Amino acid sequence: MAIECLVLGAGQEVGKSCVVVTINDKKIMFDCGMHMGYLDHRRYPDFSLISKSGDFTNSLTCIVVTHFHLDHIGALPYFTEVCGYNGPIYMTYPTKALAPLMLEDYRKVMVDRRGEEEQFSSEQILECMKKVTAVDLKQTVQVDKDLQIRAYYAGHVLGAAMFYARVGDVAIVYTGDYNMTPDRHLGAAQIDRLQLDLVITESTYATTYRDSKYAREREFLKAVHKCVAGGGKVLIPTFALGRAQELCMLLDDYWERMNLKVPIYFSAGLTVQANMYYKMLINWTSQKVKDTYATRNAFDFKHVCSFDRSLINAPGPCVLFATPGMISGGFSLEVFKQWAPYEGNLVTLPGYCVAGTVGHRLMSAKTPAQINIDQDTQIDVRCQIHQLSFSPHTDAKGILDLVKFLSPKHVILVHGEKPKMATLKEKIQSQMGIQCFDPANNETVSIPSTHYVKAVASDALLQSSLSPNLKFIRKCSERGSDFGGLDARTKPGLKVFR
Amino acid sequence: MEMETNYVAVAAGEEMGPTRTIARSWIRKVADGGECGSSFTAFPPKPAAHGGATPLRFPSRRQPKPRLLLRNVSKFCVRPSLLLTVLLGFTKDPYPNIREVALDGLVELSSCIVVEDQSLIEGCYFRAVELLFDCEDSVRRSAVCAVSEWGRLLVACNQDQSKKEWSDTVFVQLCSMVRDMDMKLRVVAFDALGKIRMVSEDILLQTLCKKALPATKEKTYCGQLTAKLRTLPASAAAFAFVHGLEDEFHEVRRSACRSLCMLTAVSAEFASEAVNILMDMLNDDSVVVRLQALETIHFMAISDHLKVEEAHLHMFLGTLLDRSDSIRSTARNTLQLIKLRNLAMFRLGIDALMKNLEFYPQDEADLFLVIFKLGRTHGKFVGSIIREVFQELEPSFEGKLAFDNARTVALLVLAISVPVSFERRICTVPPQTFSYAVIQLGRISRGLFDVVNQDTLLAYLSYCSRFSLVSASEFFKGEEPALQLEKRNDLLCQKSNDTSEAHLTSPLLDCLANLHDRVTSCAKIVLRKISDIWRLIELGCMGEVIQTLRSWKEELSKFTSDSSQTVGVLAFALQYIHVIKLLGKVWTRILSSRNLRYHGIGVLEVLLGKIDKRLQDMWYRFIGLSREEELHLLEIMLLSCVLRLSYLETFNFEASLKKICTISSRVENLCKEEAIELSNFILDLQKLLCEIGNSSDGVFENIYLLQKSLKSFSLRQIVLSGEIKHLEAELNVRDNDFQNPLPFILGLPVGIPFEITLYNLTSEKRLWLTMTVDGTSPQFVFLDLHEFEGCDEIRKFTFVAPFYGTPRVTYFSLKVCIAMECLSEDVQLFKDYEGPKPELSFLCKEIEVHLSTPVK
Repeated sequence: MAIECLVLGAGQEVGKSCVVVTINDKKIMFDCGMHMGYLDHRRYPDFSLISKSGDFTNSLTCIVVTHFHLDHIGALPYFTEVCGYNGPIYMTYPTKALAPLMLEDYRKVMVDRRGEEEQFSSEQILECMKKVTAVDLKQTVQVDKDLQIRAYYAGHVLGAAMFYARVGDVAIVYTGDYNMTPDRHLGAAQIDRLQLDLVITESTYATTYRDSKYAREREFLKAVHKCVAGGGKVLIPTFALGRAQELCMLLDDYWERMNLKVPIYFSAGLTVQANMYYKMLINWTSQKVKDTYATRNAFDFKHVCSFDRSLINAPGPCVLFATPGMISGGFSLEVFKQWAPYEGNLVTLPGYCVAGTVGHRLMSAKTPAQINIDQDTQIDVRCQIHQLSFSPHTDAKGILDLVKFLSPKHVILVHGEKPKMATLKEKIQSQMGIQCFDPANNETVSIPSTHYVKAVASDALLQSSLSPNLKFIRKCSERGSDFGGLDARTKPGLKVFR
Repeated sequence: MEMETNYVAVAAGEEMGPTRTIARSWIRKVADGGECGSSFTAFPPKPAAHGGATPLRFPSRRQPKPRLLLRNVSKFCVRPSLLLTVLLGFTKDPYPNIREVALDGLVELSSCIVVEDQSLIEGCYFRAVELLFDCEDSVRRSAVCAVSEWGRLLVACNQDQSKKEWSDTVFVQLCSMVRDMDMKLRVVAFDALGKIRMVSEDILLQTLCKKALPATKEKTYCGQLTAKLRTLPASAAAFAFVHGLEDEFHEVRRSACRSLCMLTAVSAEFASEAVNILMDMLNDDSVVVRLQALETIHFMAISDHLKVEEAHLHMFLGTLLDRSDSIRSTARNTLQLIKLRNLAMFRLGIDALMKNLEFYPQDEADLFLVIFKLGRTHGKFVGSIIREVFQELEPSFEGKLAFDNARTVALLVLAISVPVSFERRICTVPPQTFSYAVIQLGRISRGLFDVVNQDTLLAYLSYCSRFSLVSASEFFKGEEPALQLEKRNDLLCQKSNDTSEAHLTSPLLDCLANLHDRVTSCAKIVLRKISDIWRLIELGCMGEVIQTLRSWKEELSKFTSDSSQTVGVLAFALQYIHVIKLLGKVWTRILSSRNLRYHGIGVLEVLLGKIDKRLQDMWYRFIGLSREEELHLLEIMLLSCVLRLSYLETFNFEASLKKICTISSRVENLCKEEAIELSNFILDLQKLLCEIGNSSDGVFENIYLLQKSLKSFSLRQIVLSGEIKHLEAELNVRDNDFQNPLPFILGLPVGIPFEITLYNLTSEKRLWLTMTVDGTSPQFVFLDLHEFEGCDEIRKFTFVAPFYGTPRVTYFSLKVCIAMECLSEDVQLFKDYEGPKPELSFLCKEIEVHLSTPVK
């Protein structure tokens, strides 16, 4: 018997995560993502490889989605509503709550702004979500008679999970995206030591060794503090979910400790709504947040107030969180236009900006610089720029640590760049002696699986086992042959060899 | 070399072979001591929690320890060799709880047997290493302990090079566990790392670096990286400490920080690397972790391994503005030890101290001292700073003095520190500064109380103000009053070193002892000397005794300390002195007055009552007392009971006698456990109790006998172990006094916001707020410590307590206190027979809260 592992997406690339694992006739699809870089057929995984006939409901046992990022869930409405899959779908509660928001946001951007052809409608998103069964952490779900799945905490984003699946004696873990170092607002990945045949792990940072998070935090706080102490304004463009909360907690804590009175603003809209979700899903956050929950919800930020447009040009220092993260438009661009020309101000940039956005141009620019926003507008950027390097993915050390902890028989790497994956693969094989694969898209990896044979002990053996035989052998001399004198003083039934 | 233990049994899941049942019951008996020791029978067997198949109870970690069993091994006729074999056998048991207990057994065994055979130790060590990769969290946790302990033995039995090698091996093996997913395991692993005393520098540096360093790249050790991989590369230690310091759980971060503290003493280079990340830890959100990080830095400063760069200062000086008092004070203590290399750094430091003063004026006295000390060590920078700010110090033209301003006074303190600077430079501070300082003499001398007294300070200031150029040596002519107290400390410490029997061996431990201050050793000497005083008491020289005790008390109360350990020791010493004073008074009263029956009884009763109260406080409010200390307290309790019985409670003879018997049997048990000889007093008393039990004499004969037994009492020396912690609380209501009462409405309940700080109280302790209006019975409000943020060492929170019984008056005051239930162990020494609640022990001074109906 073997485990068949068909990689439909995120094989030697990042984007459209989708892996179909077949164990003893059970077909499980892990993640169903879309690729944000393509606009043609390549944006979805090639579902035809699962079933030629297109009868997905019967050929798949279930779909498991690890978290709400579009490269892990983006193709789900398409697969269920357009391709017609009608079987069970599993994801965690927060993912189920937040996924429709993300999908709807994406659909709006695609259709309303860029005027593209609609891939799925709002109704279809809702229809799709109705088919989803939500699961809790460490809750074992019996999908059918043979297949069990169980979610483990993965860090990364709110509600992200690693999934354990077991059919008979064969057990695997699919990690999705995970983080091995805790954030301020999310914990580190947490899993039991299991007997596993296969681990399918992400490898976004397969060769990166990241420094301690404290250094990153220190840099950030120092830059912000210096700016507000000098009376400047700080603009922090972020995505609504995740980084915003992380940075805000960091600042709120720092403000509290340093007794700072400078206001921190949150621009209204998605961010406020996102905070509400965080407040409700407190159980999925880090230990510290959970600990303080009894006295105070950590997402009730003490020093944060909501922002009003009239405050943009109000005098005095302040810190402002605004969406979108890459200053590609919206409110963050509006504020940026106002604040960028002053030297005392500060703009932070997320770790990664898509080419073409203002953020991307700022990353390579040296202040003072001229930046054209469109044909008519040119901004004279004189403010300071601070690049953030917070990331919710684990680095190479984290991946190795997880693999070492789980010690599976085989490892498959997905969700990474090809040359880096090859390096990591080499490392896993040489350092840990575990066989490792890094298949490309649409390739199938087949690995042997465990099968336990039941053996029955005979009555005679049971009888003879009545007296336990505690052997105590010294390996230094020839193994097994050097039994010293029998200890005569032992009680009957306990024989001790020296 | 490896030892293998094979254990053949039927491992058939639910079905338990009869063999294992037998063996298990045997292990259980051994572990519980169920059959022999009478003291163990108190735990009735509970039904098994795991499935119906096992009718036996397996000892979990909290229940009677294998340690007890191993002490009583002689009673079971089990030789350690056999025990070891059996325990090793059971480490392969299919049932995880058994494996765990077996490993715990191995850990306990390691501490109480002497093994000379290295291969045996190796066998046990590698068995434990194998179990580091067990599927069960609890087994892995025990395995880490076992690896640590047997690793220690392994290191101990080797010499020189191989000793180093093994020490590194154990260290790296433990490092490989710090990424485990179980939080408690990580804590245990870091604790274990901190215990290792010898690690090569390469490995230590590797623990702070993620990539394999060239020095450790190729190195491998004997051990296991995974269940299958039987070699242990040195790179397994990579980033271990940083991972610990970045951990999600503050328990782990704290533990990592503490181990780091121990290891910085080993290598200076490691310390200088570690300081980078430690400075970042000062940004942690948990107070405990920040405090531990500061203490680690403080320790590094003491052991002279601290090199502070300008980049660090930003983070470090931030802690001077921290909300927590203890953090600010530790930060200041550390700052005064730091050598600031250039003027810019010094200026940063002074600015931060000034900000500290501005935001937290309550720190003033302490701040002045730190500024003074800092000025003394950085004399050459002070001059230039003072010149810059001299304008501020001058009185303005309108003749108004700006001296009320705390900042000005702080600058004056800085200025006057120059002439006593260690750098012995000619003073560049304008002489009038010293005259200005005279105006603020009271305020300044309050701060500098520890270094110099007011008179000397005045003399010094007036001397310095006379010349435009002064040097301290002229004034002091060789003697240094500024170092008065420190010298006295040194003297005391010297004495303690002479008298102390326990010699600290390694230099590291010396350093650590320094860290916990001279305070502890001073307290210890005082306590040791007290036993000599008993003779004076017996002679009736109470005047001298009281004087001596008072001076000791003053001496001790001069120390202000911040580390929780020294606070505990100090508090204990002060309490103890008080008890002895009371006891002395009782003693002289008994000795002197012949007609006690008519005069002294009332006083005696009051004194004995006080003694009992104090003893109760000492018994319940100090944790970490050693057996000897407990024994000592029990003996005094016994003394007080006998005194009470023989002079006061003759009418209640039987009941009092019973109490004496209870305590005395407990004393006996303790003595047996620790193999301490019973004192004459107790021996006499026990004999007497037997006699009284058997004889049919009247009460008065017996009382006479008891009175006689008192003669054999003499105070034993008490030797403090130094690990004592004092349970304390602080209670406060902000902005409330007689003139600013809290509002309330007649007859309705009122909520009172209390600011509460608890020290060393674990969340299991049951605390109550007792609120009393004069003349009524108190109202109790339960404080559930699980509800509040913080750790056991310090827990600070605001709690709004309801008070229901508001009287029908327009104004009243409420007396409030925090009390703890004295529910400890099985002894019920102080338990009242009638009261349903156990006795309460008050943890803080009673405060008064003023309430009044709002005036319209």
